[in-house]
Amino acid sequence: MFFGAPQQAPGRAKLTVIKGEGVDGVTYLLNAVEHLAGRSDGAIMFPDDPLLSPRHASFVYREGKLHVVDEGSVNGVFIRVKAPTPLVPGALFLIGEQLLQIEPSPPDLGPQPDSEGTYFYASPKRPSKMKLIQRLRGGEIGMIYRSRNDTISIGREGNDVNFLDDPFISGRHAQITMAQDGQVTLTDLGSKNGTFVRINDELPLEHGDHIFLGQQLLRVEVS
Amino acid sequence: MITCNRCGKENQDHYKFCLGCGSELVKPAAPAPAPSPPAAGLTPGPVVSPPPAAAESSALETARTILPPGPPSAAVAGELRTTSPAAAKPRGGIPWNDSPKMPAPIPAFQLQQNPLASGATPGPRVTAGASNGGGASVVTPPPVAAGRPPGAAAQVSATGPTPGPVTAGPAGEIICPTCGKTVQPGFAFCGACGTRITRQPSGPAAVAPPRTVFMAGATAAAPVAVPRGRLILIRPDGSEGGAHPLLDGENMIGRGQAALFDADAYLSPRHAALTVSAEGVMVRDLQSLNGVFLKITAEEALESGDIFRIGQELLRFEVISPPQPLEDGTEIMGTPNPGFWGRLSVIVGRDVDGSAFPLFGESIVLGRERGDILFPEDGYVSGTHSRISLHDERVFLTDLGSSNGTFLRLRHERIVPNGAFLLMGQQLFRLEFR
Repeated sequence: MFFGAPQQAPGRAKLTVIKGEGVDGVTYLLNAVEHLAGRSDGAIMFPDDPLLSPRHASFVYREGKLHVVDEGSVNGVFIRVKAPTPLVPGALFLIGEQLLQIEPSPPDLGPQPDSEGTYFYASPKRPSKMKLIQRLRGGEIGMIYRSRNDTISIGREGNDVNFLDDPFISGRHAQITMAQDGQVTLTDLGSKNGTFVRINDELPLEHGDHIFLGQQLLRVEVS
Repeated sequence: MITCNRCGKENQDHYKFCLGCGSELVKPAAPAPAPSPPAAGLTPGPVVSPPPAAAESSALETARTILPPGPPSAAVAGELRTTSPAAAKPRGGIPWNDSPKMPAPIPAFQLQQNPLASGATPGPRVTAGASNGGGASVVTPPPVAAGRPPGAAAQVSATGPTPGPVTAGPAGEIICPTCGKTVQPGFAFCGACGTRITRQPSGPAAVAPPRTVFMAGATAAAPVAVPRGRLILIRPDGSEGGAHPLLDGENMIGRGQAALFDADAYLSPRHAALTVSAEGVMVRDLQSLNGVFLKITAEEALESGDIFRIGQELLRFEVISPPQPLEDGTEIMGTPNPGFWGRLSVIVGRDVDGSAFPLFGESIVLGRERGDILFPEDGYVSGTHSRISLHDERVFLTDLGSSNGTFLRLRHERIVPNGAFLLMGQQLFRLEFR
């Protein structure tokens, strides 16, 4: 079931693990209807990857098209963006090794006294439309950056937010833009390793798509 | 915002020196001279410099002067808006809010703006997020006492706050309703605490007419408690304002407890309890909204969740715990932790945090110009202001000789020594006791 089935059924797909330096690893031929991936269950198993849930995601054919379905995993399934992608508040995305989120700022209602008429003292703040949150392994928040205007550029140097020590990030890697109506969009700026966004529940896959689950990067090929 | 006429940088309205080049900022209109203080011998509340509008009558000006720390706001807000906003700025380090929809704020506690060293503006260390310290280019300082809507302005300035009915002692002298001391008839203010003595038109108390002065020796004065200490208000310019006596037992500090506290909209009605004892003064925060802050004089241990203040910045320290796997053995994914052991968040609203800075290494310096975490827009933060350090497996906060001090919020209660500075609401006090 793993390697080289004698012949590939027409319209069938395969997943190839991409290891460091872009070298291809194992290839999984998706010859059945459903294929489960996980840390301790399924045909596509990575027992040494603690970021995978025991049952993490499945790859299924629906009307001849390959879909990836998140099986309620803790860490989710990420797809490499190919075009500017809308982000809902709190949506997680990956740039290099950075796990990031965008939260639009709540409307500023001005000072509101409490039930006794006392006003809350807070630091002065310049107006900001959204903030970028860095999530550390384990779930804690690391850094939070408040946007100065409608966009946040992210990369290794020369951007609004720079991650100088992340070797997987390009000089100018990605950009977050907020439109007039508040819609937030994530755009990859032609980075080497790509920008990945967490999928909702399931997503149809195209030939050439890159999927990231746990610590595994997979390339999708559909014949 | 004021534009510096030397370098063109925009500065917050209450700044005296340009944050960009250090030269003195020229206010668009010259401020009026301070009003003459009330009669000697009285200790009124802090003198509030009125705005420089020239058209005010002296009577109105005097009334406003005597007002305990009140809304120059309530009395003045309306007037401020008829003159140009710039002309309304008072002297001294008093942040005014230039947002039209908010009432003008009460004077902030003593904050000296730091003039920049000439020419020295070293580039800040910019790392992800570091350049976005909670500093703001637009200050929205607090509004004034909620209980004094601008509409009641005239009334407020005329009668002042009403601390309670004035009672007369057995021999007809007046007893101050706030602190209990005897007040000579004919005097408008209590000599001990500065409360205005309101004359009740038809009160039961027989208040002697002003021309009749009773001799102290001939009366059986009501027993008055001798204060064990005082809370002395420190004005924004550093001088001392009124004093609140601290008696034996528990002293309740809060908005409405004494005239000195009445106009501070940031003080809860039951804010803190101060109890004088042999060991010192026990200060207990009564779960006030804004807390009680102690100016630190030595290295203080920080625990996760502790809040402290430098300049205008309200900051929270939290520990970053090591990752724990979930029940099924899965670990939560994320950016690999390069050694962050804590995080400093800027509190920008009730339950709202702004920027956050991860802490790593053994020493993190906070300041306006030099350090690891910078607040370049906050003129009340010194060039280097405080340090957070990690040693002996504990986290500590130290002040680095800042002009305005580093203030740590009391977790619950603490015994403080003589001479300690306490920040409650927006007022700074020095504690004195025997």
